[in-house]
Amino acid sequence: MTLLSDIISASAHLHSSNHLPSDEYDRRIRELVEYFRRLQTTKALESFANDESFLDRFDPAIDSIPFLFVLRVQIQKVQEQNADLFPADIRPSGKLWTRAAHFLASFDGVQVRYAGREWRLLVELVGQASQAASTASRLVSNISWPLLGATLVKDAMLRLDPSGAVFTSSHLLLVRLCLQAKAYSCALPVLNKQICHFPISLGRPSSEPSVLCADHGSSVSFMTEASEVSSKISYRDYLQYFLYGGMVYMALKEWRKALHFLGIVISMPTTSSVSLIMVEAYKKWVLVGLLEKGKLCPPPSITTPHVVKVYQSLARPYIILAHTFERGDLKKLNAEIDAAMGVWSADKNLGLVAQVVAVFFSQTVIKLGKTFAALTMADLSKQVSPSPVCAEVTGPAVSSLIMSRALNATLVQTKDHAESSMLRFSSIHSLPRLSHELDLQSQLKQEMKLMETLVINLGETNNNLGLSDEYVDSLHKGQVWSGSSEVNPTGGETGLEMDEDLMGDMS
Amino acid sequence: MDTTLPDASGPSRADMDTAALGDTAAITTPRARVPVKVEDDADMVNVAEPPKFDLDTYIANYTGRTRYDRLYLIGTCSPLLSTDALKAAITEAKTSKDVSRYERAVRALADVAPNDPDASLDAAWVQETSRYVQTQTERLEHELRGYKNNLIKESIRMGHEDLGNHHYETGDMAAASKAYSRMRDYCTTPNHITSMLFKMVNVATERGDWMSVQSNVHRLRNSQSKPEDAAKNLSKISAASALSQMHQGSYLEAANSFLSVPLDLGDTYNEVISPNDVAVYGGLCALASMNRDELQKNVLDSQTFRNFLELEPHIRRAIAFFCNFKFRQCLDILEAYRPDYLLDIHLQRHIPQLYKRIRTKSIEQYMIPFSRVTLDSMAKIFAPTVVGGEARPTDISSPFVQELVGLIQDGVLNARIDLEKGLLVSNQIDLRAEVQRTTLESLREFNEEAHLRILHSAVLQAGLEVKPENGEGPGLGKGGRFPRAPGKD
Repeated sequence: MTLLSDIISASAHLHSSNHLPSDEYDRRIRELVEYFRRLQTTKALESFANDESFLDRFDPAIDSIPFLFVLRVQIQKVQEQNADLFPADIRPSGKLWTRAAHFLASFDGVQVRYAGREWRLLVELVGQASQAASTASRLVSNISWPLLGATLVKDAMLRLDPSGAVFTSSHLLLVRLCLQAKAYSCALPVLNKQICHFPISLGRPSSEPSVLCADHGSSVSFMTEASEVSSKISYRDYLQYFLYGGMVYMALKEWRKALHFLGIVISMPTTSSVSLIMVEAYKKWVLVGLLEKGKLCPPPSITTPHVVKVYQSLARPYIILAHTFERGDLKKLNAEIDAAMGVWSADKNLGLVAQVVAVFFSQTVIKLGKTFAALTMADLSKQVSPSPVCAEVTGPAVSSLIMSRALNATLVQTKDHAESSMLRFSSIHSLPRLSHELDLQSQLKQEMKLMETLVINLGETNNNLGLSDEYVDSLHKGQVWSGSSEVNPTGGETGLEMDEDLMGDMS
Repeated sequence: MDTTLPDASGPSRADMDTAALGDTAAITTPRARVPVKVEDDADMVNVAEPPKFDLDTYIANYTGRTRYDRLYLIGTCSPLLSTDALKAAITEAKTSKDVSRYERAVRALADVAPNDPDASLDAAWVQETSRYVQTQTERLEHELRGYKNNLIKESIRMGHEDLGNHHYETGDMAAASKAYSRMRDYCTTPNHITSMLFKMVNVATERGDWMSVQSNVHRLRNSQSKPEDAAKNLSKISAASALSQMHQGSYLEAANSFLSVPLDLGDTYNEVISPNDVAVYGGLCALASMNRDELQKNVLDSQTFRNFLELEPHIRRAIAFFCNFKFRQCLDILEAYRPDYLLDIHLQRHIPQLYKRIRTKSIEQYMIPFSRVTLDSMAKIFAPTVVGGEARPTDISSPFVQELVGLIQDGVLNARIDLEKGLLVSNQIDLRAEVQRTTLESLREFNEEAHLRILHSAVLQAGLEVKPENGEGPGLGKGGRFPRAPGKD
């Protein structure tokens, strides 16, 4: 049992150094992690693999590192014993699952920064186990296992990096779980944080400006490539993340945010080819643009022109649909939709297309509200669609619009011609004043906060770019050019400096 | 007409009544005619109503080739005057040396009045004139060649000028303009240059090449002639430039140019434009492009233009009515003179557009002081025939309401139609809410854009651009060129 006491003393050593200056703390915690990694490779930890009481001795909030390493070993052991990636112990409500859940909900964010790889593997395991559980037990129970996994993953991510500004592979895992669980709002705390960075190798390897445990202004300085908090990221990962994120917002009918996420996907820099994920996103972009703004939105201005051309040729039916929508003819719109039914269902955009039709009607009615202050329902249906069939349909449709507050208007029964009631649009700015103002104020504040975080991240990006190899290289080159004349000791007349340079380079 | 108010300008009363009489006839046909694309071909315009002018006195205002053009236009467009006008055109053509014009006029007359003695071609005259033109051309070209051999600049210039004049008289405009432009190298005094440029302006005007008129006018302005000459030419220059601006559709500029035409234009430019024309063109362009204050200040109170307006008092009355908020009277006057203007060689193409603008502007100006107006009262002013003719003049399907709908949708009128109470309600803009809305919107747009760009640079920095499938993998792309920090501990 010497190993156990060793471990206890090592972590106790760390506890006592809590108040130490950060570089000392950094040194000790590194030692501790090194110690565990060594134990792991020498299989010394195997002895605790079946000892369930061992984990009870540690509190994950204080002794995050020992807990994490031993839990990993135990999980591996179980996997080996059962020759199954997700045996019952690991699956939701299994013994080890509860341990993992306990850890992910309460670990110490600073300590875990040093064991990013182990943390990531645990998060991935939890996510995959919940997925596996859902496929196995879909018929038996109606508990949403992915939701359990998603909540854990989300909490763990926010615990490690509260600013959420760095993209990791866990992000993709989370949205995927949420989409599977249909628990869209679960992903929102993470989605609403703006991703501004990717894990990269920071600065020069020789000079580490600050230690991991220090209180960093931005998470980009500890979520680095070296920490392995994220697995190796390819362009496909972040494209998928933003596409899925857009789909989450679509499901919640937050069209504006969905549009922003899709805009990110379609405007990403490309070297020569276009990813199909981007094309997929463009198709949704067209439809969501119709839903939010009622017109065909041009792609963001930073999209490269040749990519736009590719979109336009690959998403032909969508663009035609958008043009018909803009022209404002319901009959033609329906015809277009029917004609390309196969395309919509093949792209799995049928739901969005159906919403486009619904929005078309309300858009037209709202537009009429800008021209008319009041008109009869009969006139209205004539304006919306010339075909007489629509006359009976418009009445209920308009009243449902009013009831859902999409349309600020009232319906009045008139005495003289009772067959048609009068629709009176409220004047444009007659909203209830106070609540409206408060609402606006909070929105403004929210946007301002967003802007502040963006400015911080912008500074961070600027700093990173300034430290990047490319920049330093080019700076160095510039210095060589300007400095070589001084370096050359044989430098003679000032008028021939250019010649001197060439000579110096050659020799 | 219940809308005619007892007003200060008494003498206009009689005029008004005649205008009102002609109104019912006048208003139905123009409306049907509006969609016709006039510029497609001028022959399509058919002015059935009798114009107010007398043909002989009208044409006596002009000299030169424009007389024939105007007569021919009236002859082909107005059935009432066609015979008289075409006959006059034939005599006009016969006095000149232009055979093709003569033939054209005779053909037109033959269509209208086949039995008229003038409707058959005078073959002897045609033959004789063409032979004369032929020999004359050869003679002038021969002379010019001689001058060129002698290398005397002034003679060469005059040779070109004679040739140009000859081509101009015989109707070969392309050749005339070529000959005139060749004069340029041989001009020795500023006077020569101005006279050459004026000739080019005339040719371009007749060809309808308004860009060239514009550029020549510009050259004329910059030519260094003596101050007294410059002052003398100024009136012609500004008239020509105004005319070209009107033809290019920039009515506000045209109005300002017409307003700046000095009074001494008089009869000096009768080969293109008469002072009466300046008054009419200027007045209409101003009505179509200026608001009431500007009209009052720049047109009615203008010292020079007032004298032009004296020549065409009805235009002055129309503008005065417009300024005094009496749009019905203004529009009535304009409607009454519509046939006259449709028979004008320069105005014909622009009348539908000008009238439409004036009408739109009067509706717009009418609406300004009101927060709400009944559609009935508006219809009485702007669509009197609709009020008389239909059971429910303010129904959604009536043309007047449709016109209003169009104006609102184009953003001209900032108002909404209340069909229940028959009102046009102007939109009150809540500035506070508007500012809040735009602030929020621009904030959001900025944030989204900034986020996009930060992400963009992050992707580039991390070397994660979207790249071809086979090239994917570590060490390729941007990251590959610059080896990154080794450390995976």
